Amino acid sequence: MWRTAVLLALCAASPARALADDAGTLLSDDTWNYRSTGHLAVDGGLVVGFPAALPTGMSVGAGAGVTVGDALTWGARASWVTATESSLPWTVTQSDLRLRVTGGVQTRPGRGTIGLRLGLGGTMVHETRMRNQGMRAGLTGSELETSAFALLPAADLDAVVALHIAGPWLLMTSGGPSLDLHGGTLHGGWSAELGVAWQP
Amino acid sequence: MAAVSRAAIIAAGAALAGCGNLSGFGGSVPPLATVHVQVTGDLASVQVPGPGAPKLAAALVWGAQWLTEPLCVLPTSDASVQALIAAGCRDAFGFVPDRVAVNVPLGPDGTAELDLLDLPAADVMVGDVTARVAYASVVIYDDRDGDGTLTLGRASRLGGRDDGRPDDSGVQTTDVVYAASFVSMTQPDRRLAFREGGFDRAAAFYPRAGCGDPLPSFSIVSAGGFSAQAALAAELAGQLPPEDPSACLEQPADTPVTVAYRAPGPLRELACEERTLDSSIRYREPPADPIDLTSRTDACASVPDFGTGQAKGMTQYVVSGRSDDSCVGLTHYVLRGCRNDPLCEQPQWDITKTPPSWWRCSAQAPQ
Repeated sequence: MWRTAVLLALCAASPARALADDAGTLLSDDTWNYRSTGHLAVDGGLVVGFPAALPTGMSVGAGAGVTVGDALTWGARASWVTATESSLPWTVTQSDLRLRVTGGVQTRPGRGTIGLRLGLGGTMVHETRMRNQGMRAGLTGSELETSAFALLPAADLDAVVALHIAGPWLLMTSGGPSLDLHGGTLHGGWSAELGVAWQP
Repeated sequence: MAAVSRAAIIAAGAALAGCGNLSGFGGSVPPLATVHVQVTGDLASVQVPGPGAPKLAAALVWGAQWLTEPLCVLPTSDASVQALIAAGCRDAFGFVPDRVAVNVPLGPDGTAELDLLDLPAADVMVGDVTARVAYASVVIYDDRDGDGTLTLGRASRLGGRDDGRPDDSGVQTTDVVYAASFVSMTQPDRRLAFREGGFDRAAAFYPRAGCGDPLPSFSIVSAGGFSAQAALAAELAGQLPPEDPSACLEQPADTPVTVAYRAPGPLRELACEERTLDSSIRYREPPADPIDLTSRTDACASVPDFGTGQAKGMTQYVVSGRSDDSCVGLTHYVLRGCRNDPLCEQPQWDITKTPPSWWRCSAQAPQ
């Protein structure tokens, strides 16, 4: 109800205010201008992807990164995602902290930025395993729940698309395949990110 | 910038070193409970000759909540009905299997470890979600069919008239039970209990009145048993038959369960499940042709109406299964009635005026 009231109030008030004072308008000719002179971009957003060490599921979390450079770039990224999946005996929660050193290439057609980014580093996985029905059966301690850490060598290859929106702000999305080494075998997956970037 | 590079190098090095041990969905699954079984006695003294060396195994069997049919418990002075009850009724206070949860081969030293990887399902538990319980019997058997599990048989049932139910041969099981921790409430027993929430002491599910409550979750409980007379007297008084408190035990689930070899005859029903659990009976229309009574016991009995007078002297013809069937059971025939009620007002069949020529019970007046 209150949202409807606010919307109606804005619709009613905006034309009158625009007529009364051009300098105070929400949108002007300069609103969508952007500036992109810097070689540094900082971004962050929502991350989804395949869990690093689970055979199924989708991890969801947040990530951030910094990119330096023009046509050739380098930087660092970090993201934290978590997934909970179940089998008959287990409920497994894995939280992945992905740390990458990145390098890539990019071009800037118009307001956009298109690039390819390779990330190398490690994924720190924290696993919690809960024995299903264990609590009802009276299990305690390690019979009921176990946890473990692992650091897995990993690599990502992401396509990056960014669009300058206004001023130093960009809408940014990226995604692509990922690999990690777990238990002596390569474990394939994918990850994607949707967020905003700040490029002064 | 140098610091960032150094951190990245350290992280990469640690990653390449590879540390930690994730399990995911893999690895061994710890059991929710383990029942330790020890068998005593001399198998050779009770062994039934079989086709080969016995393949002894231990099974954990969850019990069903079952009520016997009235004919099997109502007192009668008719010798033919008594013989029929002896031939076709299972122990009214016996343990009735519902589901086999675990099977493991019995070790040469007569021990077995029964690992329970799942809780009993809701349908084998009695009570509501705030207070429910399940009981299981440890059964030692010869796995003669070699299928790795205790095969539960089911009584056969004779057919009815042509357009009625055909013969139901039931399920014949060749597995032979040699020992069990819980055979009947009229004998000392030792059972695995799984209790969730509270415990309803008024529940008549394999009751242990006078004993302590089963421990929360899994436990091994014991009772000394009560006599059938005491049970019927308690039933008439609206109570549960009392147990001797000195024979009661409530122990942790890892307490060993010791069972002794016994002659398999009285244990036969431990490998027999029931079609219906609520004492309801399925009646059949007598076939036109005579019934093959080879190895069967039959009798004419009055239709029980529990003193309401509704039966008006109506009789039923009841036939037991064959003496060599693995499970006992009864087939009921009435000249008039419905499949689930011989006293129904709108009968599905009524041949009281034209009973089959072989009908050996008293002629019944048309309703």
